[in-house]
Amino acid sequence: MGPMSRLVGRQLTRHPIRSVLTVGSLTVAIFLLCLLRSLVTTLEAGVDAADSRRLWVMSSVSLFADLPLNYQRKIEQVEGVANTCKWQWFGGYYQDRSNWFAQFACDEKRLLEMWPELEIIEGNADDFLRNKTACVIGEGLARQFGWKVGDRVPLIGALFPRSDYSVWEFDIAAIYRPKKATLDEQTMFFHWDYFAETQRASEGRDPNVGVYALEMHDPAAASSIMATIDSMFENGPMRVRTTTEAEFTRQFVEMVGNVPRLVAWIGTGVLLAILLAVINTMLMAGREQIREIGILKALGFTDGTSARVLLGQSLFLCGIGGGLGIGVAKLTEGFIARSIARMFPGYHVVGSTVALAAVVTIILGVLAGLVPAWNASRLRPVEALRRS
Amino acid sequence: MIRLENVTRVYRRGGEKLTVLDGLSLDMEGGKFYALMGPSGSGKTTMLNLVGGLDRPDSGHVAVAGEDVGALEGAALSQWRADNVGFVFQGFNLIPVLTALENVMLPLSLTPLSRAERRKHAEFALELVGMSDRLSHRPQQLSGGQEQRVAIARAIATDPGIILADEPTGDLDRDSADQVLGLLERLNKEFQKTILMVTHDPAAAERAQRIVNLDKGRLADDPREGA
Repeated sequence: MGPMSRLVGRQLTRHPIRSVLTVGSLTVAIFLLCLLRSLVTTLEAGVDAADSRRLWVMSSVSLFADLPLNYQRKIEQVEGVANTCKWQWFGGYYQDRSNWFAQFACDEKRLLEMWPELEIIEGNADDFLRNKTACVIGEGLARQFGWKVGDRVPLIGALFPRSDYSVWEFDIAAIYRPKKATLDEQTMFFHWDYFAETQRASEGRDPNVGVYALEMHDPAAASSIMATIDSMFENGPMRVRTTTEAEFTRQFVEMVGNVPRLVAWIGTGVLLAILLAVINTMLMAGREQIREIGILKALGFTDGTSARVLLGQSLFLCGIGGGLGIGVAKLTEGFIARSIARMFPGYHVVGSTVALAAVVTIILGVLAGLVPAWNASRLRPVEALRRS
Repeated sequence: MIRLENVTRVYRRGGEKLTVLDGLSLDMEGGKFYALMGPSGSGKTTMLNLVGGLDRPDSGHVAVAGEDVGALEGAALSQWRADNVGFVFQGFNLIPVLTALENVMLPLSLTPLSRAERRKHAEFALELVGMSDRLSHRPQQLSGGQEQRVAIARAIATDPGIILADEPTGDLDRDSADQVLGLLERLNKEFQKTILMVTHDPAAAERAQRIVNLDKGRLADDPREGA
């Protein structure tokens, strides 16, 4: 370590409580930055991972308006469509409303065909396909509730109650692990037929479909397929809007609110507050070190070196705080991922977030040290020694 | 040789002009020990600062070994200070967060010496002032006399030709002051350092070879006449 580095480091130990508090606030701020940005990147991961071979058909009125069952056959007849799959949001819960998680009634065989990223890690697909009450659950869900293959899970159908208001029962036939962010690990998929039969029994008619997913032979044909399907139901009982999977996923992100903008505002606010705090610390340090700056200049150190002593302290302080903040964000990644798995499945602090936090840390360090460094460089040694 | 030629230095405070040095001209020989005396405000410290390149004259010239110090600026002036001058202040002015050894090594970092060589030079300087057993002590762990001896070691570490001492014994008891004055005498006699020492203490001034008396920014007498 050079003498200047040693001086920079030692100056920070001069007021240990002040340095620790400043580093602590920087740690919290950079941790929050990592956390907030990771929430955004987690939400956007689904958009980025979207499969270009898949399209989604939904009501043009609202995502919450269902589509007629007979649309599936018509969609399948569109040229270029290779496969289709019904999805219906079940909206049930396990024992208590707080135990909410996503469940979908799907065309079970087509689900496995169209989502190869749904990797079964326990149980097997045949058992899932064979048994009408079978379901496949994400490994996060299994972990959360301690469920395993062979368990029978009772769910209360909040949106689709049974005719006798008894619980729906599902047999866990398999547990999956999503290989891509298009799926999360907190979802249950079960047989459409089980759903439809039970609904027929209670409502006396076939249920409608939430959305249709379709797979194309050639993603290049997406535009024409989307236009064809949309125009096909122009005069039908429910007009539809066909979107790419990326666009479909983005709608869910937007449903949560304009999260990126909210996060940007909060993050900017936190960083501005911490910038002011660090500037204050560095201004105090600059005032306290006027005599030392005068001594350095009298010894023959240049204005630039004197400035670097203060700028170095600011960068060092921010570097420690920022480094700790990034470290805490990475260390708590698993814990946070488990805690918010239902709202933000697949939470992960990605490399670009770490890089952003590092850059922000450096910028904070430079900005906070700029004024005292400038003052130090302008200080005439005779004045500095006299003022002390 | 240090030459001040018709040097004027005026301070402006709140719109008021205060002439601290008023056309001072003075020649001082290299390798001599000078004491600068005079009442407060007579311009002693200002003269020291001008010779050391810490301040600039409003008019006139300050030349040290032929170099016009007032004409140097920025990094060139800093380098000149590092190469030629060692400062000893009344308040010691050691860096409080560094140890005695680190304080002395600090100006050596401006030289091309390796870290090991810097340490060797610093240890030698501290040994010279009798502080080799206090290398790891920080200034607050030292007495005033010890601090001033470390400050002298720092001033001589780079082997400058001139030592500028601004009331180096002002904050010291008699015994410590004697030790410091003895050190300055030794540096002058054994190592031929030119020493300019500002002092109010006639006893301290007696230890110098020449005494320059200033009054109201002018010479009260001329050392050349007594040389």
